[in-house]
Amino acid sequence: MKSSLWPGIKLVFVKEFTLGLRFKAAWAAMLMFALTTLACVSMALQGAPLEPKLAAALLWIILFFASMAGADRSFVDEDTAGTLPTLKLYGAAQMVLWGKLLYTGFLLLCLTVFIAPLFLLLTGAEVMLGGVFLGTLLLGTIGIAAAGTLIAALTCGAQVKSGLFSILMLPVILPVFLPAIFLTAGALGGGSVPLSYLIGMALYDGVLLMGASVLFDYLWYED
Amino acid sequence: MITIEFSEVSQSFHGRQIFGPLTVKLHSGRITAVTGFNGSGKSTFLKLAGHLLLPTKGKVTVSDADGVLKQAALREHLAMVTPELRFYDRLTARENMDFFLGLRGRSLTDADYRQLLERVELSAKVVAASYTGEFSTGMRQRLKMAVLLAAQADIWLLDEPGANLDEAGRAMVAREVRAAAQQNVLVALATNDPGEEALADEIIALAGD
Repeated sequence: MKSSLWPGIKLVFVKEFTLGLRFKAAWAAMLMFALTTLACVSMALQGAPLEPKLAAALLWIILFFASMAGADRSFVDEDTAGTLPTLKLYGAAQMVLWGKLLYTGFLLLCLTVFIAPLFLLLTGAEVMLGGVFLGTLLLGTIGIAAAGTLIAALTCGAQVKSGLFSILMLPVILPVFLPAIFLTAGALGGGSVPLSYLIGMALYDGVLLMGASVLFDYLWYED
Repeated sequence: MITIEFSEVSQSFHGRQIFGPLTVKLHSGRITAVTGFNGSGKSTFLKLAGHLLLPTKGKVTVSDADGVLKQAALREHLAMVTPELRFYDRLTARENMDFFLGLRGRSLTDADYRQLLERVELSAKVVAASYTGEFSTGMRQRLKMAVLLAAQADIWLLDEPGANLDEAGRAMVAREVRAAAQQNVLVALATNDPGEEALADEIIALAGD
């Protein structure tokens, strides 16, 4: 029987979600990091206003490192639990990739929905351009999810997983990270908002997603 | 009709030759036992047969009536029971089966599920009450057999399938392996168990190096 792609992707997503709910390590690590850093920033500021560019950089640092606390687990957890060979045997490459990518994206989106309003509340930053702010958060989240899933897949066979993941993640995510900070600063009232940055982010996300899809077949199959 | 052909295949790890050069052909409807002492490469032979590992030298070709099978097309034909295969500890047996079989486009009805559990002699009541992480090693082995049967694959690669099973379990494995071969499944069996060797139509003895 030939298995079709979408039901397989849905199965992988639901499996990841179910395991995520039953074994809450990834959720807990990300939320604890986010809460700790937000609390530190809030206490350090003591109600003082935060300059938009600094606020934007701080928001993306919190989002990036909070996601790093959980996003690299998608393949490492399979490897550690010993389920990767079974998944490789029964799951087609694209089903596994897109299922895991969607779940990581969902996880990061939940994280962003949790962090962004709290950040705005605690730092007193004001959003001037809501559409740009939301669009940047969405495209940045997709970029982190795509890069995170691909690099997690690349590094899951390596001996020094965590170190390698962080080292590889930085250059891959910078083209998302830098315009995201610039656009967020603009949305918070700290300068211009060139829409070409937003288009550039969307294009880079597309390239990351396509690159992950093409490369993953080579990682998944030996022949 | 499926065949797996090893042509002058050698396998080395870190410069140490495990076996080869080996030229053999495995056929549908036949049970081939792969024997040899520990470290002679029995499990490696099965991985090579399923294209889960590339040979150091030579070529392994899996073909059906339509031609050579590779990548996803080959995996669709493949089912395995090996000590390396693990299920998700925090999913139930049913959830694990639905997930892995679902990836192959197969869905199990409640009746199918009950029938499979009966075939591998797993108690439905015990299995329903726990995650697979709480299963004994024998129960996990039986669950692997259940997934193997439900996958309806035409290549079975079995690495010590009777390991961790009691006498009734080993008899169940023997019964299912014979039945599969009669239904034209290609069965390759890595074993040192005389009972499992006795099931084989042919034996490949790996000497090692």
